[in-house]
Amino acid sequence: MTEEFVTEETLANGRKYIHGTAAHCETGVSSALFRDKGLDISEPMIFGIGSGIFFGHLPFIKWTGLPITTFRSIPGLVFKKAAKRLDAKIFRKRFRSPQKGMDELRRVIRTGQIVGVTTNVYWLSFFPRRYRFNFNGHNFIVLYENENGFRISDPALLEYTTDCSAFEMERARFAKGPLEPRGLMYYPLFIPSNPDIRKACITGMTDSCNQMLKIPIPLFGIKGMRYVARKVIQWPGKLGYIEACRQLAHILRMQEEMGTGGAGFRYMFAAFLQEAGELFGSKVLRELSDEMTAIGDIWREFAVVSSRIIKQRKSKREETFDKAGGLMLICAGREEELFKNLRDTVATLKS
Amino acid sequence: MKVNDVPQDDVFDYSQGIKKGNYALDEQGKYVMVPSKGWDVDELINGLAYSEYLNKLEETRKEVLAGKKSPLAYYMELRQMIPQLLGKTAGIAAFRVKRHLRPEIFARLKPSLLEAYASALAITKEELKTVPQKPKER
Repeated sequence: MTEEFVTEETLANGRKYIHGTAAHCETGVSSALFRDKGLDISEPMIFGIGSGIFFGHLPFIKWTGLPITTFRSIPGLVFKKAAKRLDAKIFRKRFRSPQKGMDELRRVIRTGQIVGVTTNVYWLSFFPRRYRFNFNGHNFIVLYENENGFRISDPALLEYTTDCSAFEMERARFAKGPLEPRGLMYYPLFIPSNPDIRKACITGMTDSCNQMLKIPIPLFGIKGMRYVARKVIQWPGKLGYIEACRQLAHILRMQEEMGTGGAGFRYMFAAFLQEAGELFGSKVLRELSDEMTAIGDIWREFAVVSSRIIKQRKSKREETFDKAGGLMLICAGREEELFKNLRDTVATLKS
Repeated sequence: MKVNDVPQDDVFDYSQGIKKGNYALDEQGKYVMVPSKGWDVDELINGLAYSEYLNKLEETRKEVLAGKKSPLAYYMELRQMIPQLLGKTAGIAAFRVKRHLRPEIFARLKPSLLEAYASALAITKEELKTVPQKPKER
């Protein structure tokens, strides 16, 4: 690529927009949208306040033919929750007609308001070709219209702004399949200049604890982790070695490959706990952050062990599915402890 | 994870020079975002999925050339779709899409249906009638 990399853009109404980078698409986009409205808030903070951390196994929703194992809450929810908890007013809409969806997008960016959109990765040619899978959950920001279509800012993927043609934009926004974006576009209308961040953090942390500990379905939260871990251990016997490797690789993709900031968002949550610890001046929160980092390191080890299993799938042995599943069980146990401690700590915090 | 532990593996074919953000601890024990050039683990698992996709595509291409499937099957694979998804995109019932994957039925399709498929798959009507002679490049 020879073109100069741009990170500063002028919007339709003459305002400036500075492109920043992020680890994850939705939190990165949310944080940039809020910053554009004058609230300087970090990506991990959005992630924590919006209760992004999660674990879920969805055997009934298939992606590339395999069940989804997710380390985050449903796409779109983090922005919604974070905005609500910061007392922001937001615009958020899906469309039945692609034509209307595109018209509305054009109308809004002409006023100089930047817009977050949810898209399907397959149709976006600015992605590296090996990233382009039929996945309906990528977010980026549309800045303004230009001769190539649209100027966009993708904080999670690129270190600079880029172009996206109108054709690709429409296909990507209105792709079909699981988790259809249906042209979802969103932006904050109003953000209080001095929101109660402490209160928002408390609500976010409590909600995270409930998501991880209290959902009475054994596929979600800590219970889900244990369920998947037990499955991993049984896979080689049940599915055969090759198919077991395929399924394991699929979990790893959701954990590491798809922009999670490392270890399936665990490091990002640790970063949030650290920031919250400073905000509240709480030693306990800082300790919990350290513990989350340690848990992230185990998730990381799980990824390395699993990749070794997959690599040697032709010759076999050395690392086993028992070990991989075991590491996951350790993560489950320690996360359970952590979220229980966090719940108790949050109860003592004052906003 | 410490800043120095953030993987910086050389996997250009996969990342094409695009860096991925990782959260890691700096020397003062504070979290910062560190751009990562790439990680062998990411490359490996993506490679599995990507080669699975290409292999299936190539298999379908050969089947089309052998007259076992219609070109529609090839382009459906190319766009990473299944009959349900293609049907929804083109506005045609999934069971009909499945029938149209058979070459003898595909050959008799009305132009209006071909038009619907071509625009759903983002190709021209002419392209839809044949498959490439060479496999898609890796």
